[in-house]
Amino acid sequence: MGLDDLLNLFVAAILLAGIYTTMSIGMTVIYGVMKMVNLAHAGFMMLGAYFALEMSERLHIDPLVSSVLAVPVFFLLGVATHRSMVRFVPVADEPTLPSLLLLFGLWLVLQNVGYGVWGADDRSIFSALTMATFQFKGIVVPVIRLIVFGIALLSLVALHLFLHHTWFGRSVRALTQNREAGQLAGIDTGRTAMLTFGLGIAFTGLAGALLANLYSFTPEFGSSFMLRSFVITVLGGLESFSGVAIGAVIVALIETFSILVVPASYQHAISFILLVVALLVLPGGIEGLLQRWRRLG
Amino acid sequence: MTAAPGSRTPTSRTAYAVAALALLAFLAVPLVGITNNAIRLLLTTFLWVTTSLAWNLLGGVTGQVSFGFAVFYGLGAYTAGLSINGGVNPYAAIAAGGAVAAFGSLLIGLPTFRLRGPYFAIATIGVNEAVRIVMSNLEITGGASGLRLLQAGRFSQAEHYYAALGVAALAFLVSWRVMHSTFGLALRAIREDQDAAADVGVHPFRCKLAVHALAACLTGLAGGVFAHYSAYIHPDGVFAFATSTSILLMPVIGGLGTLSGPVIGAAVYSIVQEEMVVNFPQFHLLLYGALLILIMLFEPGGLAGLWRRLARRLRGRNAADPGAGIAAQQQPTGGGS
Repeated sequence: MGLDDLLNLFVAAILLAGIYTTMSIGMTVIYGVMKMVNLAHAGFMMLGAYFALEMSERLHIDPLVSSVLAVPVFFLLGVATHRSMVRFVPVADEPTLPSLLLLFGLWLVLQNVGYGVWGADDRSIFSALTMATFQFKGIVVPVIRLIVFGIALLSLVALHLFLHHTWFGRSVRALTQNREAGQLAGIDTGRTAMLTFGLGIAFTGLAGALLANLYSFTPEFGSSFMLRSFVITVLGGLESFSGVAIGAVIVALIETFSILVVPASYQHAISFILLVVALLVLPGGIEGLLQRWRRLG
Repeated sequence: MTAAPGSRTPTSRTAYAVAALALLAFLAVPLVGITNNAIRLLLTTFLWVTTSLAWNLLGGVTGQVSFGFAVFYGLGAYTAGLSINGGVNPYAAIAAGGAVAAFGSLLIGLPTFRLRGPYFAIATIGVNEAVRIVMSNLEITGGASGLRLLQAGRFSQAEHYYAALGVAALAFLVSWRVMHSTFGLALRAIREDQDAAADVGVHPFRCKLAVHALAACLTGLAGGVFAHYSAYIHPDGVFAFATSTSILLMPVIGGLGTLSGPVIGAAVYSIVQEEMVVNFPQFHLLLYGALLILIMLFEPGGLAGLWRRLARRLRGRNAADPGAGIAAQQQPTGGGS
């Protein structure tokens, strides 16, 4: 195992971390504002993947372009989901039993609608870019992964600007930090929750469409990614937007380098082991750890 | 709360009588010569009644949602299976299954119950996947091809029927005792407001661990009886995520936090499942998902809640509601009625 191989793995991990951040941030904003765990996350990711597939097969739109198109479409889908179902379940400072079960039910429905519409076959998207790579000082970089990383990064920059330079972004951050104080300051929680749910689903759909460029998928698609999103948000401290990025880098690094030591059949169990370790060692996530250090220092 | 813990009100005396009569009737069933297929359906219903009551203790009474009860069902099944293959008495093997499942529950509960927030529910989704994968790859359990049980003696369906009836009756008795004890009161207090419960001397962490272990033990016993009966188990059956889904769905259909709800839910589920598997094998999960959504939006109290609402309307007055299911405090804000 030479230095080049390690460097290659490292680059692959960082490229993966970009899309992992986009994938998990949708779950984080929804949890931050509404204190709901979006268990339908996997279902919306799967829809995002099939959205990219349908757009490229029927309308011959480049799958990367249709990933971007997924953002407005899934925003509306999220708003509609909130209007028709999610707003009726009670919210509290912790996820309530009805909200967990409702979104879980929605996941089952989406997944099985997926089976009904697209069947159980493995699908994938091939474009001219799929197999292209370029070399840079011995490091092989697949072009498509680089572009996906770029789009993911752009979406995160856009989100950052949005959260810090609009009134809606301010209310999102305020409700995330302290729900009651936000309400007292006059934030329209219902409207903010609706838009936040739309925003979260938009990012989830985008992530699903982007991942469809990299991996093959079935209606089952998304459940292993949902588990990773859980781990990343827990590592990030559940409500911290910058923590998500750190969590994503950690998960991507561990996943990529674990190939060297863990048998392939156990790869899927890694996310879960990480989750338990994170809960035992860092219950407040990375952000909590940093805060503790700051207080001690 | 009308009935103080342990008191014998007229309602509870009627309920005792109904339960005792039902038990006698079910004991007599194999003797009156109904078809083997009907006995098989009753047997699976008893197993589901057991898991449904067990999930209800944790999810309905204590308010902790678990998406991973298949882990305990599977642990019970595999422990029993491996012990029987090792020459242990089948009933000791089933009991061992319950014990191992209870032990497994501690491994999930210890790291997650100490924390506030959604950690427990999230972890249970992960643990289900992880355990299924490990079980599919382990040598000792036969891996993905499953485990075949070697059994001495002739197959007697009645014997398995009585074993299933036994664990269901045990689950019912345990649920009854728990729900009419101070322990049950503490669990309900944790569901309503954990901080307030802690203020009056309830230890939420210990209580959650205890009820989780109790529920896991009952589920493991059901898994053990299932393994003993079916003589062949495989990871994608007993450890499947769909099994976890079914186990959580039954008490939700019937009515969370009540005693009759989970039993009704399990009975309804078993009959529907029987028909669905034959006619629409693909779409039963679609139906269950839709059911979950509809129940959460319109009647979080399940069938028991619906029944109470109908009864109240028929009586035409706002009668006090002693059942105190989950419907009372978790009525949706705008979607009901």
